[in-house]
Order: sequence, then C-alpha cells, then structure tokens
Amino acid sequence: MKNQRLSLEEFKAFFQDSFESQEELLSEYNSFLSTFEQLDQAAVPDLSSEKKAEIFKQSCQSQWRESPWIFTLINFFRQPALTFALGIVIGCILMSVVKNDPVDLTGTASADELLEIEHTRYSQTYKGKIIDDYYPEFENPKIVLEKAGEDAPPQRTLHGTLDNGEIYVVWNL
Amino acid sequence: MNRQDPVPDEALIEAVQEGDRNAAAWLYNRHVDRVHRICYRIVLDPSQVQDCVQEVWLKVFRKLGRFRCDKSFAAWLNSVTANTAIDYYRKWIRQRKHINSGGIHPGTAAADENPGNRQLDSALIQERIRDALETISVNQRTAFILRYYEDMTIAEIAQTLGCTEGAVRTHIRRSLLALRAKLAGKIDV
Repeated sequence: MKNQRLSLEEFKAFFQDSFESQEELLSEYNSFLSTFEQLDQAAVPDLSSEKKAEIFKQSCQSQWRESPWIFTLINFFRQPALTFALGIVIGCILMSVVKNDPVDLTGTASADELLEIEHTRYSQTYKGKIIDDYYPEFENPKIVLEKAGEDAPPQRTLHGTLDNGEIYVVWNL
Repeated sequence: MNRQDPVPDEALIEAVQEGDRNAAAWLYNRHVDRVHRICYRIVLDPSQVQDCVQEVWLKVFRKLGRFRCDKSFAAWLNSVTANTAIDYYRKWIRQRKHINSGGIHPGTAAADENPGNRQLDSALIQERIRDALETISVNQRTAFILRYYEDMTIAEIAQTLGCTEGAVRTHIRRSLLALRAKLAGKIDV
C-alpha cells in the first residue's frame, strides 16, 4: 500500500518561515517527496490466512471461555434508563428500611435508665443504674428524700434488699 | 467501515456483545489487515508483529463488551492498535537490549553492507527503511504512520495518542526531517 503524499499545503504548514524563497521551498518539498517515494518501497507483507485464523482463535478463545451470559448481563445494565430506574427503586427501598426501623444510635442505656426520679408532693425517689453502681452490695437500691411538711428539712434514706430480697434495709443517710 | 460491507460495525458489535462468535469473526476479518499494517510499521520487527496483533485483538475482545456504539469503532480500534503497538515496541526494545547487551543489533545487517553498492535487493531496501524508521521515536513514528499510511487527520491522531494537535505536528515534522536525512541518497528509486 502506497503512503499518502505530503501535500504542498501541509508541507508549508509544517515548515512555515523555514525558507526564504519560493524556489527553496519547492526544492525542499521535492526532496521530501523523494523520501516518500523511498518509503513506498517498504511494503507490509500480507498476514497469511493461517496466521489470521490462529490469532483470532487465540484472542477469541479466552473471551468466549467466559460464558456469554456475562455479556448479556453487562449489556442489560448498560441501558441508562434502566440503571436510573434501578437506582430510584434501590434508594426508595433503603429509605423505607431506614424510616421503619431506625438504627439505634443512643447506645445501651438511656438517661432515664441511668437515673429515674419519682416525684410525689413530699418525697422524691431516686433509682437506676447510677444508684445500683453506687451501692452494689444492695439489691434494687433507691434513695428517698422525704419531707414531713412543706417547710420541714428533707430526710434522706436508702432503701434496698439483701439476700435475694429476704432482708429489707432502710438506711438513714 | 468499508462501504461495501453490508452489515455495519455497530450491528456486529451488538451481536458480539450478545455472545455471537460469528459476528466477532466477521468484525475481525474486516479489520485485521489494518491492525496488522499499523502494528507492522510501529513494531518494525517482523518476528514480533503477530504477537502484537494478537495482543491488540485480545484487548479488543476483552473491552468490546463495554464499547458504546455512539463512537466510531474504526477510530477506537486505531487507538487501541496504536497504543498497544507502542507499548509492545517499548517492551520489546527493553527485552532486546537486555538480550543483546553484547552489542549485536539484530536489525542492522544492511548497515554492514558495502556503502558503494547501489543495487540493493528488496530485502536490503526494507532493512534500510526499517532502520530509518527506527531512528525516530516510537511516538513520532506512530504519528507519521497514522498520517501518511492510514490517512488520519491531525485531530484524529491527537485523539488516538492522547496529545495535542501541536504535539502531533511536531512529531510529524521531526519524523519528516529525520527520515529525509536518514534516507537521502541511500536507495535508488
């Protein structure tokens, strides 16, 4: 196959401002054309049918060893509308799951469980994990602040049990 | 695509993507000569060309499943071919340098001939041209080959090689100067 000749226009574009006169430019251009004529002699030998078949077999074999369903699957998911619709469906499912069963990020103990306070008109009862930890020797300990009247000073007592509830303890604090 | 081909490349590619091996063979037969030609001129060593062509087609069939038919298959194939051949050539040159660390250059038999002998046989002419082409860098050579043997535009070559059009012009200009200098007066035409 012969190469495409370098046109004079292209030659001028490549070598603009390199020559002082039109004659020099044409002379140089002709010398480049002679180079192209020489290059024409560099023929590329044809690839034989056997070699073509061998290359095809080798290149193709490894691809077709994988079952073609993978191509079908890839092709299926390459449709933009389908991918978009699938994205929306998956997004909706995720939102629904998150809204209906929110993830508990509050940890194992809430503030209420740490310390529960029961109020009555003349008493306040404190119980919960903090009190349990503070008096570990008691079962179900609670601290009760009681007032005999509106202006009476509060009396603090610790209530709890020992020995699996057999002994009930009231301790003045 | 060749105008006489009744089935467009795009239809063949879709068939290949659905697992049609005959379509792959058809596509291969349609383009293998061009791939071979480009590889031959970039790699330059005839003993390496078949492997290089095979490497190109391995890549093509591997990537064809993800090919989008909104661009030209021929342009994409040119790009895969040129870049694979460039990589192959560089790898081969490294290996050859390693093997020939003793200093023997396998492609320079013609250079040892008597320079006064003007009646070079065909094989020797091929050798001289190959030597001349080998003196320019592989990127320059590829740009030159794609422009003058594959009739690609400067813009297409720039896209193929992933460089600017200015860089392609520089590659071609340097190739022209180097080839003229190398071939001047060496071969009778």
